[in-house]
Amino acid sequence: MSAHPPHKPNVLELFLAALGSPFVIVGEQFREIFKVFGLTVQYAQHGRRRWKEVWLQAYRIGNESLVFIVCVAGSLGVTLVYQAGLQAERIIGDLTPLGGLYLQILLREFGPTITALMISTRVGTGIAAEIGSMVVTEQVDALQMSGAHPVEYLVVPRFWASVVMVFCLTCVSVLVSWLAGLLTALLAFGVSPYTFATLSFVIPGDVILLLMKTTAYGIAIPIVAGASGLSAHGGSEGVGWATTQSVVNCSLAVLFLDVLLSGFGYLVLLR
Amino acid sequence: MRLTSVLSVPFAMVGRRTLDIATEMGGMTLMAGAILRRLFPPRVDGAELMRNLYNVGVKSFPIILVTGVFVGAIMVIQAGLYVEKYEATGFIGWGAGFATLREVSPIMIALMFNGRVGAKNTAEIGTMKVTEQVDALRTLAIDPVSYLIMPRFIAMVVMMTLLVVVGDATALIGGAFTSQFLLGVDVQLFFRSFVDLIHLEDFLLGVYKAITFGIAVGVVSCHFGITVTGGAVGVGRAVNDSVVASAIWIFVLNYVVTTLII
Repeated sequence: MSAHPPHKPNVLELFLAALGSPFVIVGEQFREIFKVFGLTVQYAQHGRRRWKEVWLQAYRIGNESLVFIVCVAGSLGVTLVYQAGLQAERIIGDLTPLGGLYLQILLREFGPTITALMISTRVGTGIAAEIGSMVVTEQVDALQMSGAHPVEYLVVPRFWASVVMVFCLTCVSVLVSWLAGLLTALLAFGVSPYTFATLSFVIPGDVILLLMKTTAYGIAIPIVAGASGLSAHGGSEGVGWATTQSVVNCSLAVLFLDVLLSGFGYLVLLR
Repeated sequence: MRLTSVLSVPFAMVGRRTLDIATEMGGMTLMAGAILRRLFPPRVDGAELMRNLYNVGVKSFPIILVTGVFVGAIMVIQAGLYVEKYEATGFIGWGAGFATLREVSPIMIALMFNGRVGAKNTAEIGTMKVTEQVDALRTLAIDPVSYLIMPRFIAMVVMMTLLVVVGDATALIGGAFTSQFLLGVDVQLFFRSFVDLIHLEDFLLGVYKAITFGIAVGVVSCHFGITVTGGAVGVGRAVNDSVVASAIWIFVLNYVVTTLII
């Protein structure tokens, strides 16, 4: 076998490689995520039901995020109503529709999306760190040796727990933001709670859109985070890489689904 | 006896959490103090600073662009519903632009920055901590704060500010295209109402927020990175804690800056 002289890439090849490599990386991650998605759907239908594990994960995803979500939703509610109130006072001069419109935009957009981004941050990193640590300490290999598929054993319980808990946390978050907004409107602008607390702007489409968004986010977060965790390799560096990857991918998935579903809502639901 | 032990459970829980929070707050304060002491006069490794500026800023660019486009599209879709209801297409640039510049774009960019840069920073410093590289630096009489943390902190504050400006711009472009293709509002009309009704303060408020968010993410992620213990599992847990603490700080500071500046 004669040794070939090493091939030196020219400028054009380097340029094309630099142009193409992001697409290759993104494509690989998409493939990984959809692989985990397919396996999760398959095992969620046909696999064993391990309700105890689902219950435990629901506690860890839901209850342990509660304080975090309440903090974030509270400060978000105060800020949004304060900004909107100042603008409404300056431009319209009438603060009566503030409460109704605020509740509507909360249901349509800020409630589900900000909550899902927060859950991506807290739970997405948590799932990836946990599964990633199990991968690098070869616990996942041990699972496979004993005949359990890692997706069935690790991702499916988190999937069920997350679908339920994202919805519950979104409800809590909407409620807290709304109450914080009500208090802000009362204390900063003197809007009576009776005027603020109105459902007159909310239409059924808003609630349907909220349900669609929470379900989509609840499905997406554990799967994207699980895919990142399962693709960890190397020692503690690999775990760090997986958690970073997880929170970025989860947040982008949430924003992407938000664009899709908001567009759908705009074109179909909220006419 | 049994009753008292049951009754003491919530108190023990509250006390434990309070102690945990106090420990972390104290650690963050010490970290902020250590950084502040090395800022006057600046004691920073120049080459390391350039490398971090590249890693933090340039490498986050694609994610920030994508986030910006999504944010612009979402805000225009949401504003579009009201604009059509009240038949005020002339105001869409104002409605979407105002909310984007002041509130949504800084928060979204900061959350993505927190995930991309803050988490990575904690993971990197944490890995160096658990593999005893930080101790090795100390043995060589190199101050880990000046060498490791200062360049990262400065890079984060500078790049967070610049990336919010980039994010604002992409969000507006994404919003203008969405309003053209989804709502059928002309791009010119979109930008005319934007230029007429948005003031410089609206943009600057977002920039001020970005500076505080950058400081918060920098201090929090460095603190959680340098205090890691316990191998790969510890690194994962530290990254988790770091992004959660940064996210809380982002929302609290958002509120503080909004009320202070207006």
